[in-house]
Amino acid sequence: MKSLKLAVLGGALSLSAMGVSAETFRWASTTDPQTMDPHAVNSAPVLSFLNNVYEGLVRRGQDMSIEPSLATSWEPLSGENGWRFTLREGVTFQDGSAFTSEDVMFSYQRASNEAADVRSWFAPVSDVRVVDDFTIEFVTSAPNPLFPDSIANFMILDKDWAETNDAALPARDAENFATMNVNGTGPFTLASRDPGVRTTLTPNESWWGDVDHNITEAVFTPIGNSATGLAALLSGEVDFIQPIPLQDVAQVESRDGFQVLEGEETRVIMFGFGHEHDALLYSSDVTDANPFADPRVRLAAAHALDIASIDRVLFRDKIEAASQLVPAGISGFSEANQDRPAFDPERAKELLAEAGYPDGFSFGLKCPNDRYINDEALCRAAASMFAAVGLDAELTTGPVRDYWPQLREDDFDMYLLGWSPGTFDMEHPIRFLMHSQDDERKLGSWNFGNYSNARVDELLPMIQQEIDPAARQAFVDEVVAITQEEVAYIPLYTQPLIWAAKDNIDLTQRADNFFMLRWVTVN
Amino acid sequence: MAYFILKRMVQSVFVMLAVAFLAFSLFRFVGDPITQMTGVETSVADQERLREELGLNDPFVYQFVRFTGDMLKGDFGFSYRTRQPVADMIASRIPATLELGVVALVISLLVGVPAGVYTALKPRGVLTQTILMTTLVGVSIPTFVIGIMLIFIFGVQLGWLPTFGRGGTVQIGGWESSLFSIDGWRALLLPAITLGVYQLTLTMRLVRAEMMEVMRSDYIRFAMARGVPMRRLHYKHALANTMVPVITIIGLQFGGVIAFSIVTESVFQWPGMGLLFLESIRFVDIPVMGVYLVVIAFFFVLVNLVVDLLYVAIDPRLRIKDLS
Repeated sequence: MKSLKLAVLGGALSLSAMGVSAETFRWASTTDPQTMDPHAVNSAPVLSFLNNVYEGLVRRGQDMSIEPSLATSWEPLSGENGWRFTLREGVTFQDGSAFTSEDVMFSYQRASNEAADVRSWFAPVSDVRVVDDFTIEFVTSAPNPLFPDSIANFMILDKDWAETNDAALPARDAENFATMNVNGTGPFTLASRDPGVRTTLTPNESWWGDVDHNITEAVFTPIGNSATGLAALLSGEVDFIQPIPLQDVAQVESRDGFQVLEGEETRVIMFGFGHEHDALLYSSDVTDANPFADPRVRLAAAHALDIASIDRVLFRDKIEAASQLVPAGISGFSEANQDRPAFDPERAKELLAEAGYPDGFSFGLKCPNDRYINDEALCRAAASMFAAVGLDAELTTGPVRDYWPQLREDDFDMYLLGWSPGTFDMEHPIRFLMHSQDDERKLGSWNFGNYSNARVDELLPMIQQEIDPAARQAFVDEVVAITQEEVAYIPLYTQPLIWAAKDNIDLTQRADNFFMLRWVTVN
Repeated sequence: MAYFILKRMVQSVFVMLAVAFLAFSLFRFVGDPITQMTGVETSVADQERLREELGLNDPFVYQFVRFTGDMLKGDFGFSYRTRQPVADMIASRIPATLELGVVALVISLLVGVPAGVYTALKPRGVLTQTILMTTLVGVSIPTFVIGIMLIFIFGVQLGWLPTFGRGGTVQIGGWESSLFSIDGWRALLLPAITLGVYQLTLTMRLVRAEMMEVMRSDYIRFAMARGVPMRRLHYKHALANTMVPVITIIGLQFGGVIAFSIVTESVFQWPGMGLLFLESIRFVDIPVMGVYLVVIAFFFVLVNLVVDLLYVAIDPRLRIKDLS
C-alpha cells in the first residue's frame, strides 16, 4: 500500500515536472559581460557572470562569508608571511583535464601580469610556491590576514587549455581564445555566446559540488533600456531582471505572479571635498580661499542634510543612513562610531558663522547622472538643503564616462561618490579613499580631494597587518573616529539593491550585487 | 553613366573622410575610455600605461591619421570594450538594422501611398479626416514613446508579440535574417511599425499633396475629357507623376531611417548597429564609434546615389537628356 502511494506520488511529481518544463531560466541585466576572460577586466558584470563558470580558491556564500571552493582549507605560513592553501582533489575542468596546483600557479602568473586588470589583488604577494600537486603557498611581503578574502574573485584557468589556445595572457588589444570561450571548474559552462545579444549557459555535469539548482539551461540577455527590461519581465519573456529602477517597484508589486527582491547593497554614497584646494573653483563670492578646508564648514554641510526626507521622497524608504564608509555588518564596521551628524540647520548656520561665513558662500557641486540610483535627483535635493543654510551649490551633472576624468583633474569643490568595499572589509575604503594620495604605493587612488591625516596613513598598514581581531578593530575605530571628527567625507546612506522576478523563482540576492545561478530554483 | 557612378563614389570617400574627422574631433568630449575599461582597483600607473599603449596620449590629428590609414588598409581595429575586431562586430549587426529599416520602409509605402491617394481623391471624406488626424498624432509623439506604448499594449497586456530582441533568426550565408521564420516576423513587427510611423505620415502627406497638384494639371483634365477610365487615370497617369518627388524625399529619408534607428533599436533591444553604437558611447569605445559613423556616412552616400539612379528609371525625360 505504502509503496503504491509512493509510486503514485512519484508519477504525479514527474508529471508536474514535465508540465512545467521551466528549467530553462531566462534572465536580463543592464550590462553585457564584455569578455569571458576572468582576468581581463575587473568589473562587476564580468566577475559576477563568470563566477558561474569559473571558480576561485575561496568563494563567498549567500551571506558574503568566505568559504572553501577549489581550496578545502588554508592557514597562515609559519616562519614567514603568507598563506598555504590545500587544494580540492578530484576536480576537473569542463574539458575533462584535472585541476592541480600548476593551474593555480599559472592563473596567478596570468592574473598578475601587466595585461591583467585584476593584478592589483596580488600587489601584496612577493612569491608563490607550488609545494605539491594539491598544496600551494602565497608569500606576502607583510602579514596579511585578509589575503584569502581579497582573492574570492581570483578565478582559476586550466594551464594546458590556455597555453594550447594561445590565451596564456589576457587579451589586451585583440581578442584571444579566452575572450569568447571558457574552460572552468564551476557549476555552469558556456553553451553559446553572441556578445551583446544572448549568452547561454548549461550545467556542468561533472561539477564537484552539491547541485542545489534545477536549471537545465540559462539564457542571459542584456537589456539596456529599463522600460524594455520591465516589459520583458511583465510579458513573461524573462524570469528575472537585475536591477529594476525604484520607480518601477510599485508597477511590479501591483501585478500577480511577480516579486520584488530588495536588499541593501554594500555601496555607501557620500559627498567628498577638495581638501587640498587653495581656493574654490566655482564660487562667485569666495575666490581666494577654500572654506571646505575648515572642518567646521564640512560639518555644517553634513548638518544641513536631511537623510530622512531624502529617503522618503526619493527612495521610497529603501535606504539606510550611513555613519561611515561601510554599512553595518561589513567586517571592520566601527560600532563605537555609529552616529552621523544630525539634521540640524541651526547648528549648520552657527558653524558657518564660527568659521567666518555667516552669510554662507557659493561653490560647485559635481555629480554623475547615470552611476548611482537617483544620483542626479539626490544632488538636486542636497543642493536645496545646502541652500537653506546659506551654502549655495552650483550643480553640474554628467555621465560617468566623463565624470571620473573631471574628478581626477581636481575639477570640483564638492563631489558625489559611491563606494562598495571590494574585499568587504573597512580596510578597502581606508586604502582607497582615506589614505593620502600615493601613486607610488598605489594608495588613496580614489581620494580625489586628497584628504590627508598622518595618523590615518600610519594606521592603514597596522590595520592591514594586525592578526588579532580586537587590536585590529581598535585601529579601525581610531581611523573612523578621526575621519568623522574631521568630516573627511559626508557618508549619506547605503544604496538599495532592487531586483524583480516571477513568483515561481527562488534565488539569492547577495549584497555585492552578484547573481549566482547555482542558487536558483524554478518552481 | 559609369562615369557618373564613379564620380559619386569618389565624392563619397571625401564625405566619409570628413565625417571621420568630425567624429574624431568630438570623441575626446565623450569621456575617458580608460576609466571605462579598468576596474576601480586599477592603479593610476597601470591606467597611464594602458593609455600610452592605446595611443590615447597622441595628438588628435595623429590619432585621426592612424585611424583613417588603418581603415584604408582594411584594418578596422579592435573594440576597447570587447577586444573583438570592429569589422566583425559591425558586420554582424548590419543585417538586423537593414532588415528593420527596409521592412519599416515597405510598411510605410504599402500604407502611406494608398492612403495618400485616397485622401487626395476624397479630400472631404470622413475617413480622410480621420486618417489625417491619426497620423498627425502619430508623428507628434516621440519614437520611443510609440515604441513603449506598442510594447505595453501588444507585448505585455495582450501578450501577442515579443517585447524585445529578434526572436528566431535564420542563417543564410553570413546573413542572420528575421524574414524567414514566423518568430522572426513576430519580433520584427513592432519595431518596424515604430520606426516606420514617421515615414508613413510623411509619405502619405507627400503623395496627397502631389496628387492633388497633379489632378489639377492640364493633361489630366484632357485625359478625363478623352474618357480615360478613372482608375487608369488615377493610378497610371497621376500617381506615376507624383512619384519623382516622393522617391526623392523617401529615398533621402531612408538614410535617416538607418542612421536613426538607434532609438527604436534601444527601445526594443534590437541587436542592430544603432544599439551597438549606444553601448559603445557608454563605454567610450572609440574604434567602434568611429567605424560606425563612417559606415553610416557611406550608407547616406549610397542611398543618394540610388535615388539619383531611380530618377532616371522613373522619369524618361532624364534619360533623353543623358543620351544627348
